[in-house]
Amino acid sequence: MKWFANLATRTKLFLGFGLVLVILASVIITAYSGFTSIQRSQDALYRKDFIPALDMGKILSDQNRTRADIEEVMLTKDNAKQQAIEQDIKSRAEEISRLINIYSVNSQFENDPNVLSKMDELRSVTDDYKKTRDEQFALIRAGNVEGARKLSVGIQEQRYDRIRGLASQVMNIETKRAQDRVAASGAMAGKMVFFFILAGLAAFALSIAAAFVLNRMISNPLREIAGAAEKMSGGDLSVNLSVEDRKDEVGALSKSFGKMITYLQDMAGKAGRIAGNDLTVSANPLSPKDILGNSFADMVRNLRRMNREVMDSVTVLASSAGEILASTTEVAASVTETATSVNETTTTVEEVKQTAQVSTQKAKQVSEAARKALQVSQMGERAVDETIEKMAGIRLQMESIAQRIVELSEQSQAIGEIIGAVNDLAEQSNLLAVNASIEAAKAGEHGKGFTVVAQEVKSLSEQSKQATAQVRSILNDIQKATSAAVLATEQGAKTVAEGVKQSAQSGEAIKTLAGSIAEAAQAATQIAASSQQQLIGMEQVISAMNSIRLASEQNVTGTKQTETAAQALNELGQKLKLLMAQYKI
Amino acid sequence: MSGGRSGEETPPEGIDWAEIHRRMEAVRTAINRGPGTGEKKDILKMRARALAKEPDAPQPGQRSDVLEFLLAHERYGIEFSYVREVWPLKDLTAVPCTPPFVLGVINVRGQILSVVDLKKFLDLPEKGLGDLNKVIVLESAPGSNGMEFCVLADLVLGVRSVPLEGLQRSMPTLAGAGEEFFKGVTREGLILLDAGRVLRDRRMVVNDEVF
Repeated sequence: MKWFANLATRTKLFLGFGLVLVILASVIITAYSGFTSIQRSQDALYRKDFIPALDMGKILSDQNRTRADIEEVMLTKDNAKQQAIEQDIKSRAEEISRLINIYSVNSQFENDPNVLSKMDELRSVTDDYKKTRDEQFALIRAGNVEGARKLSVGIQEQRYDRIRGLASQVMNIETKRAQDRVAASGAMAGKMVFFFILAGLAAFALSIAAAFVLNRMISNPLREIAGAAEKMSGGDLSVNLSVEDRKDEVGALSKSFGKMITYLQDMAGKAGRIAGNDLTVSANPLSPKDILGNSFADMVRNLRRMNREVMDSVTVLASSAGEILASTTEVAASVTETATSVNETTTTVEEVKQTAQVSTQKAKQVSEAARKALQVSQMGERAVDETIEKMAGIRLQMESIAQRIVELSEQSQAIGEIIGAVNDLAEQSNLLAVNASIEAAKAGEHGKGFTVVAQEVKSLSEQSKQATAQVRSILNDIQKATSAAVLATEQGAKTVAEGVKQSAQSGEAIKTLAGSIAEAAQAATQIAASSQQQLIGMEQVISAMNSIRLASEQNVTGTKQTETAAQALNELGQKLKLLMAQYKI
Repeated sequence: MSGGRSGEETPPEGIDWAEIHRRMEAVRTAINRGPGTGEKKDILKMRARALAKEPDAPQPGQRSDVLEFLLAHERYGIEFSYVREVWPLKDLTAVPCTPPFVLGVINVRGQILSVVDLKKFLDLPEKGLGDLNKVIVLESAPGSNGMEFCVLADLVLGVRSVPLEGLQRSMPTLAGAGEEFFKGVTREGLILLDAGRVLRDRRMVVNDEVF
């Protein structure tokens, strides 16, 4: 068996399947020859036995029909029908003679002389029958039906029977031969069936044997390798392959598989060392196409570099985590302060809201007050207009007063003139009194009484002078008073003019004021609206501040969590540092 | 405005027109009525009381009536015997080529008389002329040379009777230019002029030629 094992697997397969193919080919050849002979036999059966038998039957039937037709011709008087039947009889006679001619040839009946002689006899009888029949027709046409019938019953009936007997004999012979032939074919078929069964059994046995052998030679080692591969696919590299020293493909496969296992085990060992934090492993790739080896070398290199980088990063991370922890602590403190501030701000905003409410009310009050002030200023405007009118009246009256005072002054002047005249009179009276006294003195004793009268006159004139002086002084006072009055009136007129101007200015001022107040009213309305909006805004701010307060409280919680997290992170960084220190580079 | 209204109602600085109207009415009625009967009676009574006073007992000794007048704040007197009459200084016409003491001439009832200013004559301070200035027409006693002219008086005070005894001749105030024209000074301080001497004085005759 060693030589068989060393054969190539292809050759083994060829050998196994070739044996089965040989058997199959012999079976096919045998079957072909058997079927061919059966086909030939069947063909002969059909052509040489079955068809002649049928044709004989047909001759019989045609002869029968001819005989019946002749009877019918004799019976019918219709000439046309007679002719049609005569025609039919002729065509049947031709058919019969044609069939007889076919089967008169030697080759037809395997040179059976018995049959050939019968066929010859049949021909002659039919020919005779034909001649007599024609005679019958002639007799019938001649109207001698009775003669024709005699012929039919006589000679023609003998001949008819003879034809029938001959055809029946031939038919029977052929039938007998067909039966023989069918029996021969059945025997041959039985032989062939027996041969097929034998050949099938042989092929079955051979196939089973070949399959068993091939299974043992090819499939078993492959199954073993497949099992090992299955184990390896599950990660189990502790596989031992009992390698058989064979030179076929299975042997090569086993050898290569073994090498692969060794290689993988080597790699696994290296991976194990790497897994054990030992990065000093040197992975030497077997060839440039050694993807795993190259990848392993790259991996080791990358791991070393990465490890160094990770080491650096971890150092940075640890210090950063420390800083983050410090910052987070500060942030936590700040967030707590922020929460406090937010609370205070919320309170302040509440107060501001109340202030806004107050300012809204105040703005409404201001708006109302401005409206009233507008009315008042309009009243003021009207009052100023009236004042200006009245001022004009006052000015007219002042002018009138001044006029009157001037007239008064002129009248005092007249009084002064009168007083002057009176004074003159008094002076003259005085002189007269003096002169009278002088005259009285000159008259001596007689003039004494006159002296008294003169004295009296003088006294009167003195009193008159005094009175005129008083009147003059009073007139002076009046003059001064009228001058003062004129001055005062002038001043008054000027003041009134000034007042008119001032009133006009006041009117303008009041108009401006009214405009300002209108603007103020509008502004106050706008302020009221704005305050309202401000109030709404403040409420929104309050709700926002509440949200912020909640958020800041959450922030406090969150920051505490962050602080914890930062502590954890810091510890993690320290741990990472310790971990990274375990790597041997 | 309300202040203005309240000012009309309560006048702290305003005008009490009702009071003014009342006073005006009072003045009008007073003017129309003139001095009341009571006032007239009072005046008349006062005058009667003055007249009913006993005249001063005539002093013993010789007395003389004089015309008293003011000349530069001094009271002077001229005896009636030399006085013709008193005349207001009216229509004075200056005459050229006369001594300074001759003021001019006036028309007294158709008689042209010269006016002499005694202040210049007596070296008294000037006062100036006015409507109240009067002239005293002097005349010599009948039988003399009959010189007539006017002297200027600032104011004619009236008629007075002065005692001729007790006249003080020697007075320091009288020493001066016109000492010869003074008769003496009375106890009341009235300077008595010697009108006769004035009238007789040669200087009064003006004879000036002007070429």
